[in-house]
Amino acid sequence: MEELATEKEAEESHRQDSVSLLTFILLLTLTILTIWLFKHRRVRFLHETGLAMIYGLIVGVILRYGTPATSGRDKSLSCTQEDRAFSTLLVNVSGKFFEYTLKGEISPGKLNSVEQNDMLRKVTFDPEVFFNILLPPIIFHAGYSLKKRHFFRNLGSILAYAFLGTAVSCFIIGNLMYGVVKLMKIVGQLSDKFYYTDCLFFGAIISATDPVTVLAIFNELHADVDLYALLFGESVLNDAVAIVLSSSIVAYQPAGLNTHAFDAAAFFKSVGIFLGIFSGSFTMGSVTGVVTALVTKFTKLHCFPLLETALFFLMSWSTFLLAEACGFTGVVAVLFCGITQAHYTYNNLSVESRSRTKQLFEVLHFLAENFIFSYMGLALFTFQKHVFSPIFIIGAFVAIFLGRAAHIYPLSFFLNLGRRHKIGWNFQHMMMFSGLRGAMAFALAIRDTASYARQMMFTTTLLIVFFTVWIIGGGTTPMLSWLNIRVGVDPDQDPPPNNDSFQVLQGDGPDSVGGNRTKQESAWIFRLWYSFDHNYLKPTLTHSGPPLTTTLPSWCGLLARCLTSPQVYDNQEPLREEDSDFILTEGDLTLTYGDSTVTANGSSGSHTASTSLEGGRRTKSSAEEMLERDLGMGDQKVSSRGTPLVFPLQENA
Amino acid sequence: MKIMQTQTEIMTFDPEIFFNVLLPPIIFHAGYSLKKKHFFQNLGSILTYAFLGTAISCIIIGLIVYGFVKAMIYVGQLKNGDFHFTDCLFFGSLMSATDPVTVLAIFHELHVDPDLYTLLFGESVFNDAVAIVLTYSISIYSPKENPNAFDTAAFFQSVGNFLGIFTGSFAMGSAYAVVTALLTKFTKLCEFPMLETGLFFLLSWSAFLSAEAAGLTGIVAVLFCGVTQAHYTYNNLSSDSKTRTKQLFEFMNFLAENVIFCYMGLALFTFQNHIFNAPFILGAFLAIFVARACNIYPLSFLLNLGRKQRIPWNFQHMMMFSGLRGAIAFALAIRNTESQPKQMMFTTTLLLVFFTVWVFGGGTTPMLTWLQIRVGVDLDENPKEEPSSHQEANNSDKSVTKAESARLFRMWYGFDHKYLKPILTHSGPPLTSTLPEWCGPLSRLLTSPQAYGEQLKEDDADCIVNQDELAMTFQEQTSIPCSPSPGPVVDQKASPQTPSKENIYEGDLGLGGYELKLEQTLGQSQMN
Repeated sequence: MEELATEKEAEESHRQDSVSLLTFILLLTLTILTIWLFKHRRVRFLHETGLAMIYGLIVGVILRYGTPATSGRDKSLSCTQEDRAFSTLLVNVSGKFFEYTLKGEISPGKLNSVEQNDMLRKVTFDPEVFFNILLPPIIFHAGYSLKKRHFFRNLGSILAYAFLGTAVSCFIIGNLMYGVVKLMKIVGQLSDKFYYTDCLFFGAIISATDPVTVLAIFNELHADVDLYALLFGESVLNDAVAIVLSSSIVAYQPAGLNTHAFDAAAFFKSVGIFLGIFSGSFTMGSVTGVVTALVTKFTKLHCFPLLETALFFLMSWSTFLLAEACGFTGVVAVLFCGITQAHYTYNNLSVESRSRTKQLFEVLHFLAENFIFSYMGLALFTFQKHVFSPIFIIGAFVAIFLGRAAHIYPLSFFLNLGRRHKIGWNFQHMMMFSGLRGAMAFALAIRDTASYARQMMFTTTLLIVFFTVWIIGGGTTPMLSWLNIRVGVDPDQDPPPNNDSFQVLQGDGPDSVGGNRTKQESAWIFRLWYSFDHNYLKPTLTHSGPPLTTTLPSWCGLLARCLTSPQVYDNQEPLREEDSDFILTEGDLTLTYGDSTVTANGSSGSHTASTSLEGGRRTKSSAEEMLERDLGMGDQKVSSRGTPLVFPLQENA
Repeated sequence: MKIMQTQTEIMTFDPEIFFNVLLPPIIFHAGYSLKKKHFFQNLGSILTYAFLGTAISCIIIGLIVYGFVKAMIYVGQLKNGDFHFTDCLFFGSLMSATDPVTVLAIFHELHVDPDLYTLLFGESVFNDAVAIVLTYSISIYSPKENPNAFDTAAFFQSVGNFLGIFTGSFAMGSAYAVVTALLTKFTKLCEFPMLETGLFFLLSWSAFLSAEAAGLTGIVAVLFCGVTQAHYTYNNLSSDSKTRTKQLFEFMNFLAENVIFCYMGLALFTFQNHIFNAPFILGAFLAIFVARACNIYPLSFLLNLGRKQRIPWNFQHMMMFSGLRGAIAFALAIRNTESQPKQMMFTTTLLLVFFTVWVFGGGTTPMLTWLQIRVGVDLDENPKEEPSSHQEANNSDKSVTKAESARLFRMWYGFDHKYLKPILTHSGPPLTSTLPEWCGPLSRLLTSPQAYGEQLKEDDADCIVNQDELAMTFQEQTSIPCSPSPGPVVDQKASPQTPSKENIYEGDLGLGGYELKLEQTLGQSQMN
């Protein structure tokens, strides 16, 4: 009979699980229908994520105040046999054994406030669900859709914003919050401990911007592509930096007695952890991407799109699991895997698989994102341990705006020194304005809500997300028109080549010889990477690019022959691909590091650019989409420089 | 050693994962891809095989295994008292879920006769649903006093449970699909294929969750949801969404299926409580063959009495041969492995799945050639009609039950065509013409503007399918209520008008070219 009772209980719990999941699914359905209505009527002030949050809030209120508080049978037993918690526990209840599993530690003061409401407990997910199920598709999709030519053109600026900017904003927010916390201590508002590392942690999690609302509007209105690429690229890489930063701040543990004082050794250890995790995840992600590219290249898998899609999906997923298993950050690995897949593997896929993978990840991304946002709305009411502290919240709001300002304006100033195509003031204001917080900040905040300080952070993060998504997201369209940012730009169109020839002339002139040294260096690094990518990686991993037999030295001819795919030799393929690809490189470098590129490597650049005159024009339509528009620029440079033209193919053959 | 222990423990999933995560996409995909014209042609036979056949096979396997268990107890291999008749029936029901995925893949590739394909596929799909509900109702069979004696009340309670759960799940699944159809019809969601796909996916998933939450069987609900979605919603989707949903579920089905089969291989070694019992395994092997034979041959004989296009002997042999066991049997067996009999069943099921998938799956192609089943059939080609006229002559005296069921089918088809299709999709005749006068405003509200335009074309095509189906399965009956039955001559005459019609109707148009006129006149008179 007792066995039947437990079985019934298990069934009941399964039923409740189904109900709570069903709640979310129906919420999402409702969101989809409403968003269709909005799109249909061209309402732009509310994005689907904002809508999902509103529905989440409504359901949260209903669940909170509309369901009776049923209590489970809880009983605390003390056990002093070992000082370690058991992962599973067998309890002998009058002759019957029951198995219990570890859920987590509860602070001693909170023993009585174990969640009593069954329904609320059911709709509260384990925060790891976000990191293991919901975030990976979102992040992968972001990486996978980064294959925009404008992204590569602005790579330098994006990296600067993402890395330096996140670090700056983290420190500024951390310091401001520390001030606020001190103030709260003086006023007597703070009852529990709140250390400087906690403030920095808050700075790190809140630095992950997620302007999904703004980007959706940009996409719809065809706002300036450069601005779009800057914002999107920054927000994507931002997330990765913020995750790793927050986990290395958590790992900061000074050796001495005072565990929250500054300790150089521990600090450098944290920095080391940051670099280690970041590069480890990066390597892992790109390695899996490369393996997928190789597999899709050397098998004829493209005859079976289903298998191809499945392979693609599984390899990308295994990146995540592998990185998590090795102690790296799976989400970061997935991001870089996505970028690599888009850069290499995508070219090897069959046409059907391309659309399949795109659509698959699009749907997954859409569902996961809206799920997270509706969960956010729900969490405002169903989460039991909210700590609303007005001073902290106001301080946080001020801090994020100051942090954003202190990161965008100075960095833009420095970048403008090096960029030919300057980031205009209205762009800077728009970027400043688009500092929305979203899924990543929420997921990082909910991950650990054990201590008082963390609970306060969680509540604050939730409110910041709400505020930014609704207010700032809703204000995007007015802001765009107020800042005079041009909309309705054809993405394939060139930006106005205002002082193009002037710049190139200047680049050739004598004053650029004494150009900034660091600029030259980074240009050199970029150039090295691009030519390496073009000469070796692209031909090895995809069917495009010049045949390896021409780019590799002759002593490894055998290897080169076996790695080069037969398509490359076919008709005009090599010439065509080569040209357009190289030109992209040129375009990038000249745009970002206008003058110095030319001096650093002027002659070789012009060789290839000249090839584009013949090859590029002829085959413009068939060249890869992202490379198209750079062709034009190559022409102009050739004419202005007029150095002797040599075809690289002939040179190397 | 301890590390090994935990590793194998980690590699053992909670069996509920199969039912909540892996099986739903497989089953939904099966239902969603049932939209084949041959499926509706053979609906009667498929339902017979699925319901009657599963029941027969469950009882026969149960009895044979019970005999073996008794023998084992007699020999001393098994302790008396822990292996009851209900356990044997339980084993019988879980073993009745056939899953000839290997065979079907080969059929598909070789373009084997579409009728055989549909019979096998349809049977295996509905089979699963029946077996799941049957297993559940057997496991809750608990008589009051002696827990293993026969108790009429408890038996009828189990039967009631079976019927209740089955119809409940059916209703739940179709209700969600109907909601989806209505939503996709009355919103312009087709402008945004991604939203449409998302909605489709979410509502199909909620069918599963609602059924589970209501204490019904989610998988069965998902199956019927899939069938209904394919029948109605699919027509409302944008063409982009059509391929998207197809591809999405195809992909999920592929992954889930392979995960389950991988896990089966793994489970042979990582599962800790295997009980290999040679006589039981042998008995089970014997039982499933005998039961399959008792299911296919007598039922085919009975069906052949009523079918115009008979199921020939080589088809019957092939169906007998294709009794593979797969994911469902495994999932049902692993769900409960607490007691010793259940563990023994699990081990046996695993071995049976391995054996049937490898040996039968591998032997399909030789078997096809040996049985001289025609391959490379063009799917759009109509089956040969030679015996029909001859058939009609000697079928003037028929049984009442057949007539009744024919009437039932006819009623359903007429209802589906006249009311459901126009309400739920953009096709079919406008409701204004089919509904009585007094609900005019309602019907005008529910009819989509497209329906008036396409009225004629769709009308024809649809009607014809109905007529044709009935003619195929219950041909002699159909002809009586509704004038002369479709003859082979008419058939050839009307065939050239196919191309613009929907895929499933394509082949059937020919048959109904004649019927069309009849229906048309009927419809006209209603309109006036």
